[in-house]
Parts: sequence; structure tokens; C-alpha cells
Amino acid sequence: MQPFDYARATSVCDALELAATRPGAVFVAGGTDLVPLWKDAVCAPPAVIDISRLPLGAVEVGDREIAIGALARMADVADHPGMAAAPAIVDALRASASAQLRNAATIGGNLVQRTRCSYFRTAGLSCNKRAPGSGCGALGGDDRRHAIFGASEHCTATHASDLAVALVALDATVDLVGGGAGDAGGDRAVAIAELFVTPGDQPDRETVLRPGELIRALRVPRTALAQRSCYLKIRDRVSFDFAVVSVAAALHLEAGVVRDARLAAGGVGTVPWRLRGSEQALAGARPGEPAFAEAAARATDGARPLGHNGFKLELLRRCVRRVLDELAGGA
Amino acid sequence: MTARNGSATPRIDAVVKVTGAARYEGDTPMAGALHAALVAAPIASGRIVRVDDATALQMTGVACVLTHANAPRLAGPSSPIMLQDPTVWFVGQPVALVLAETAWQARLAAAAVEVHYEASPAITTMHQALDRAYAPASAGYVATDSRRGDPERAPRACEIAQRYTTPTHNHHPLEVPCVMARWQGDTLLVHATTQAVFAHRRRLAAHFGVPVDGIRVVSRLLGGGFGAKGSAWYPCLVLGVLAARHAGRPVALELTRAEMFTLVGRRQETLQQLRIAATSRGELTAIRHDTIAQTSAFGEYADPTATVSRVLYACPSVATTHRLVRVHAPQPNPMRAPGEGPGSFALECALDELAHELGLDPLELRLRNHADHDQHTGLPWSSNSLRACYRTAADAFGWHARPAQIGSLRDGRSVVGWGMAAACYPVYRMAAQAEVAIERDGRVIVRCGTQDLGGGTTTILAQLAAAALGVPLAAIAVEIGDTELPEGPYSGGAHVSASVTPAVEQAARALRHLLIERAVADVASPLFGDSPAGVAIADGLLAGSGRSEPLAALVGRTGRLACTAHDAPDPEPRVSAYAHGAIFAEVGVDPDLGVVRVQRISAAYACGRILNPLLARSQLIGGLVGGIGMALHEQAVTDRRTGRVLNTNLADYAIPVHADMPRFDIALVDEDDPHLAGGVKGIGMIGTVGVAAAIANAVHHATGRRIRDLPIRIEQLIA
Repeated sequence: MQPFDYARATSVCDALELAATRPGAVFVAGGTDLVPLWKDAVCAPPAVIDISRLPLGAVEVGDREIAIGALARMADVADHPGMAAAPAIVDALRASASAQLRNAATIGGNLVQRTRCSYFRTAGLSCNKRAPGSGCGALGGDDRRHAIFGASEHCTATHASDLAVALVALDATVDLVGGGAGDAGGDRAVAIAELFVTPGDQPDRETVLRPGELIRALRVPRTALAQRSCYLKIRDRVSFDFAVVSVAAALHLEAGVVRDARLAAGGVGTVPWRLRGSEQALAGARPGEPAFAEAAARATDGARPLGHNGFKLELLRRCVRRVLDELAGGA
Repeated sequence: MTARNGSATPRIDAVVKVTGAARYEGDTPMAGALHAALVAAPIASGRIVRVDDATALQMTGVACVLTHANAPRLAGPSSPIMLQDPTVWFVGQPVALVLAETAWQARLAAAAVEVHYEASPAITTMHQALDRAYAPASAGYVATDSRRGDPERAPRACEIAQRYTTPTHNHHPLEVPCVMARWQGDTLLVHATTQAVFAHRRRLAAHFGVPVDGIRVVSRLLGGGFGAKGSAWYPCLVLGVLAARHAGRPVALELTRAEMFTLVGRRQETLQQLRIAATSRGELTAIRHDTIAQTSAFGEYADPTATVSRVLYACPSVATTHRLVRVHAPQPNPMRAPGEGPGSFALECALDELAHELGLDPLELRLRNHADHDQHTGLPWSSNSLRACYRTAADAFGWHARPAQIGSLRDGRSVVGWGMAAACYPVYRMAAQAEVAIERDGRVIVRCGTQDLGGGTTTILAQLAAAALGVPLAAIAVEIGDTELPEGPYSGGAHVSASVTPAVEQAARALRHLLIERAVADVASPLFGDSPAGVAIADGLLAGSGRSEPLAALVGRTGRLACTAHDAPDPEPRVSAYAHGAIFAEVGVDPDLGVVRVQRISAAYACGRILNPLLARSQLIGGLVGGIGMALHEQAVTDRRTGRVLNTNLADYAIPVHADMPRFDIALVDEDDPHLAGGVKGIGMIGTVGVAAAIANAVHHATGRRIRDLPIRIEQLIA
């Protein structure tokens, strides 16, 4: 860990000003991802801005929208009674990390956590995300945990957040503040699916966040879709593990047909991956056969497996089938 | 002597450990110590051409940089870890060591040391060079090859021939290894996390060419070891001592978790070929167990992987081999249940396959092939209660209700499977000395230079002395882990309890005799003139014919007394001694999603005399958890192109978490072994034996799939 400058923000404005005057600075709240990366020399920010004491931890469940402050702790959000309006989010949070980490980690930090790719997390190995231009060690290497969607010849690392997958399925929006002066700056709202960017030829760029821009809150529409939603996570051990494959699904059933469906998958994409083929197979169909089988089959539309992760295609299809059966079962 | 089980006493150091008051060796203050950080080689094979440490030396707090070029020379053979020459043998090998005033300064400077290499071609995985497998000098303590009968021509109605693999594992005790060393002239004080204070002292004396008597090694409390703090850790321990020699100041070296994946040993990867033949009635006629395992490019180590096949079953024709492949990878070493752990996976899965083929219940197949003596050596068993283990654990599990039909037990979406395995582990003993003393204030002190890995050796020493002397447990203090003490055994291979029990009991009994003799000869004692045979000691009180005196009063008046005893195993044993066990596992498998959960385990063990049933149960659970990890989770992954271990943290190197634990139902079978001094067999290893097989066999019973490559993974179950 290199020496660094530390500043504690007293307000959101203060945080943004501190960021503006400290090039390369990072915000820290729970620190559960940043600190290990730092200790392993995967990153070496010259300055940190401690935002952990800013008043951004509220969870407000309204009639039309759930608003979650970026500094709300994962555990607190999962335990909030109002979150029953969006079961997929609760499921995803409870399936994340360990109880200890959920007590410390924040919602905003969860979204911008870095990939678990071992080539990224091991200083010295080739990784275009950590050291642009050094190559991708995972391609042709140990790629069991890597992406089948959204990869490029430069990077195939998966996005690690469970929460983000659920949010993509529930059409959440992220409120951002700061990030430059004048026209470039100012507050903006970004659809969660637009927050993350696939690696392309610039794997070190993972989100549309501008330097110094801060996530202030998440907003999740409180809809029939959100109400009938769930998150299924498959991992190598029962707890404290990242997804091998996960699926968030939401169904709006009305008069015996699927009015609307949203599916997104984790552990398979370089970003949380929306399963549009599955959604199309479900729209307007009656729940059950043949639509669910078709939705499962289409979950892997466009998938490109690597050397050791081909099993994720079948696993993803089966996960989609499972979550649809479970959601429809309560109909 | 009739063996007698001890009481289920909570460990005597429980309070200090739970409250955080316990002081581990890394907590030892050593005034003026420099802190060390290592620079690791990024290449798997080659030579150091040049080390540029100019920048590092300029950095704040840096005292010096050690490399092969300036490190003090060691006498005798050295490990590549010890900075003695420029050859690089594996990724992670230390190529320089930085000393600074703080650990943080040392780490920063280590990152600034520039090392230039000339790389050579490397073999980074065992499977690249299977054709170069060779026969090592030995497998563990025994010969690599064995042969009895004629396995190739033995009669057979049924035969199983399969290949099984187990991956590289790392030990990962919670406490990371550390060493603190201080030289004063040629005398040396070492506080270190070592499983072997005496063995390491002897090796240090030889390496540094100084007298053994001038070296003191201390390791009083260990936060686990599993083998990572024995011979595997010694080369790093030397680095700390070497650095202190060079710097002329005390040095502290503490490894990082990531360094533990490369510098303190590993359980070697294995590839095992099993051929088992039997008659139609299920009588084994032949076993061939051929193993290939990874060793490093610079050192040789072979677990006794196939030895379980030599002894566990009655079989007239058995052949076993152990071969190694040299890989530019870290040096393997023993890890909990070395050999028997991975070896029993292959043997016990093959037995299950044979039972299935024959249409026999897996337990029935084992009962039909029970060995009534050790057919490898021809010796009788010292004791063998394997049948009682089968019966006890099978009854507890409800095995008799097992349907033979695959996949016939269901629980919602889950398919339930039942599997079992047998386990054995040899009894290893070493020479041990112990002193039991009673001080003038009546405190009784047990002194033995062995170590407590965390399993409860300290408590057991106190219990043994308390019982043999006739004093309450609270009156006993235990001193261990110090070369100033009488020499005790190293901690590993479940040695300690079996080795120290006779010496401690003899010393305590001798002390009891001396105390009684002193009392009856002392005019000031109420027992004066009694016949020694008529005096007993109980609860700290000498009691004769109607009169008594507290021990504290006697020694307070007459002075301290101490007795030392020594016990060593028979160099030519006339019996074959093994601990035994039977494990029954239930798994629930989600067949669509490939998810396996171990739902319950019933296991029974026969380990001779049990010194403390509470601690024994904890040890066995710990072993079983290791076995669950072997079955479902643990695997160090190496990048083939670079030779680098990829998952060097405990998030990515998966071990079972609490939520992975099943319900454990553990029984200790009464076993009185008259042939073993003290009657103790050791329990540290056997819990890990057979578990992975029982789980894999249960997965087969649920799904019909034979998973022969560990760990059992989602992709194998949905393929």
C-alpha cells in the first residue's frame, strides 16, 4: 500500500470539491473491496475521500418508488421491511458476500466493486483492465469463472455484483452528482443498465462515471414486476462466494398471461447481462410450457463460451427455467 | 495397564483464547527489531541476472536488502527459499529480503527492488510431464512400491479400473507463520510459529554452524498448522534468522496470506490409477494402486498415498507404486492426513464402484473383506475395532434403510444420496521426555518441549498429570513449546498424544511415589511411619490410615520435587497399530443446477484410549471439515502459462464456510489397546480420511454420476 492523501468529506458538496482538487482520488465508504485491492497492489490511489459519514444511508419505500441511499449498508437494506416490495433485491443482497461484509459494505460501493478475475487481482499477471496494454491472461488461461457475454479480445472478466443484476431486472436508476464543472458536470440520472460498459478495447473503463462523480442514490420503480421478482445464485459454496451463474427475474402476470418480463444474469457477462431473448419469449405468453422452455433456451442467445466455462450455458438455461417456475408457482 | 479414557474437560486455555488475552509468538515484544518483507520471483524457472536495490535502499526506514549475493552463507544443503544462489525454481520464490524499521516500510521497499532475470523453459503443471514420472526414495516414511501375491493374474469375476485425481491444496491455519530472531554473538533466540522446536533448533545449529546449546526456539501457542509450520516453514524461518545475522539486529518476519500459497508447502496434486478385482461373492482378489504426484523442481516429497490400499482390506494380491513429477512449482509437504487423505478417496470410491458392480451393499462388501491382521507386514493388529466403527456409525446413520436404487431418495427438488467409506491412519510415535514437578507452593508443573497446534495438547498434558498424581486440574500449570524444556515430539501426523502420554504418566507416577516416600519418612508429617503402600494421593491430599496431609504442606516444608521420564517406541514393533473409522454421509443434490450439499455425517472412530472426549470430538470435526473441503471446495489453481498460483486469497481459494457444514454425529468407539504404551493412537489425522470418498459415493447414489476428479463441481454434475 503506497502512501496516500486522506480527506474526510463533511457534506456531499465537500466530497465533490475534494474530488475536484485531487486528481486520481477515489471515494471510500465501506472499503470492503478497495482495501484488499490496495493491499494487493492492484490499485494505488494517490488520495482517498472518506464519504462514510455523509447522510446518504436512508431507505425510503414510497408508493411508486423505492429510494436507497448510496451509503446504506447492504445488511440494512436487506433487512428493511419495505424491501418486500422488491424481493429480487433482498435475495441478491442476502446472497452476497458474508454477513460481516454486508454489515460494512454500502450499496453504492457494491455497484462499482471490481471484478474477481484472478488475472486482474494478481499484480504482475497480464491484465488489460489493471495494466492497459499488458494483454488478457484469462483468454486461453484459467477462464472457468469468466464471461460468456460481452467479452472482447481484450477482456473477459465478469462483473461481480449480485445486486446490480437484480437492479437491471427491476429497471433501477442511479442518481449521480458531481463529475466536472460547467456543462460536463451537474446531477444526472442514469439507467442502471447504462451505468456499466462492456470492455471493448478499453477494459479499464467499467462504468460511465466521470472522474469525481459520486453515486448518491438508487431508485427502483415499485411495480407489479418488482413485486413478483426473485434472484437465484449458484456458487461453489453455500455462502461467501461469487456467482458462478445467477439470474434475476421479474414477471408481471395479468389475466393468465405474462404482461411483462425482465430477466438478467450474473456471473456470465462482463456487465450485468439482460436476457432479452428470454424476455421476448415470455412477453404475452401463458406462464409454463412452452414459453418457459423457450425462454430458457433463448437465455444463451449470443453466448460465446471459452475453454472452461462452456457449462455456464446449460447452467444459465436451467437457472432461467428454475426462477420462472418459482415465480409462476406463486401465481 | 488398562487404558482409561479421560474426562471431557474444556480446554484450560479456552478463556485466554476467547477473550483475546492469549499471546502468540508474533505478539512477543523484541526491542529494536527490524521488519522483513520478501521480494518474490515472477518467473517459474531461470536465473537472477542482477538485483537493483538502489531505489529501495534510499527509502525511508530501510536498513538493508538481502539477496543471494550478500546473504550469509549457510552450511550444508539449503532450500532455494534461503537466498543462497541465483537459480529460480518457482513463481513466488524469495529472491530478496528487505529489512526496515516498520513492516510497512519494508513492504513498500520490497516493491521497489528491481530484479532482472534470465528465464528458462518451465514445466508448470504435473500433467505436462507425466511421461517423466520417476520413483522417489520413499513415500512418507515407507517404501514407494509394494507387492504381495500376483495382482495381474489373480482370479476375478469382476474388476474396476479407474483413474482418480485430487488437486493441490494449501494448509491455511488462521495464524500466519512468523519468526522473530535475535542473535547475541553465537547465541540465538527464536520465537516462531513452529510445529517442531527441537527439530528446528538442530537444523538451525547445523545451518549456522553454532552449538545447539546456544539456540533457544520458542513456540508456546499456535493458531493452527496442518503441516504448514513444520518442515515446510523451516526455510522461511531460516530467512528471518539469516536476516538477523546479517543485520546485527533482531528481525521479525511474518508471511502474508498470499505468500502462504507458495512458501509453506502444499498438499501435492495426485493422479491415481486403481484396479480392484473380486470374486462374484465380493471377496477381493487383487488391488493395484498406482499414484503419480507433483514434487518441486528442486526438492522431493511423496505422500504415502497408496499405502491405505496395502492394509485396509484383506486381499491376497496387492501392488502399490508412488511416482513423482518434477514441476516448477512450490515444494509439497505433509498436510493433514498426508497420503491417506487423497489415497482413501481413490480406494474408497473404487470399492463403492465395485460394490455397485457386484450388486452388493457397500458396507457389506467391506465387512466381507475385513483384514484380521496387517497383510502388508504380516503383523497382528495392536487392536482393530473397524467392525465396531461400521456398526456404530451405520446404526446412528440408519444405513440399513438405504435403497440400492440410484436416485430413489427424494426431498422436494433435491435428490438425496447416501455414501460411506472406511478410514485408517497409522499410529506414529516418537521418543518423548517430560518432567512433572511440584513447587514449594504446591503448584504442579508439567514441562514438555512439544507444541500445541490448537487442538488441546496443553489441556491433555495437564489432565494426564492431574490424574496420575492425584491433584485437581486447576493445580496444574503446563509449559510447552520451548527448547529449554525436556525434549518432546514435533506436532504432526497425530504424533503428540501417543508419544507424550507414557512419559507424562511415568513422570507423574514417579513423583507420586517420591511424595509418598517423603511423607512417611518425614517426622513432621502426620503420615510419618505409615507404610508407603497404605498412602494414596487424591485431590491434592496425601491420605494414610485415617490421617492426611495436603501435598502443598509437605512440599512447603520439605522443598520442591521433580521427576523426569522418557519413553520411546519399540524400534522393531511386533504389532501393527492403526486408528480406524467409518464415515456415512448424506448429500442433497439439486440435479438441475448441479449443487451438492452435505446434509449429515455419522462417523465412528476407534483411536485407542481417548484422553479428552470433548477435544477429541472437536479434532474429528475439524478433520471432517477438511474432508468436506477436499470433496467440494479446495483447489489451488495454477496458471499454466506463467506457473503462478491464481487464487492466493481466502475469497478465491474456497474452504467450507459454516453454512456448508452438515449435522455431525460422531461416536468414539471404546478401544483398549494393550500393546501401545499409554494406549493412545492419535486422532489428529483420521478425521480427514475417507470423507471425500463417502461424499462422492453419496453423490453417485443420488445421481448415478461417478465424480473421480476433486473437487466435485457444478460442471461435472450438469454435463
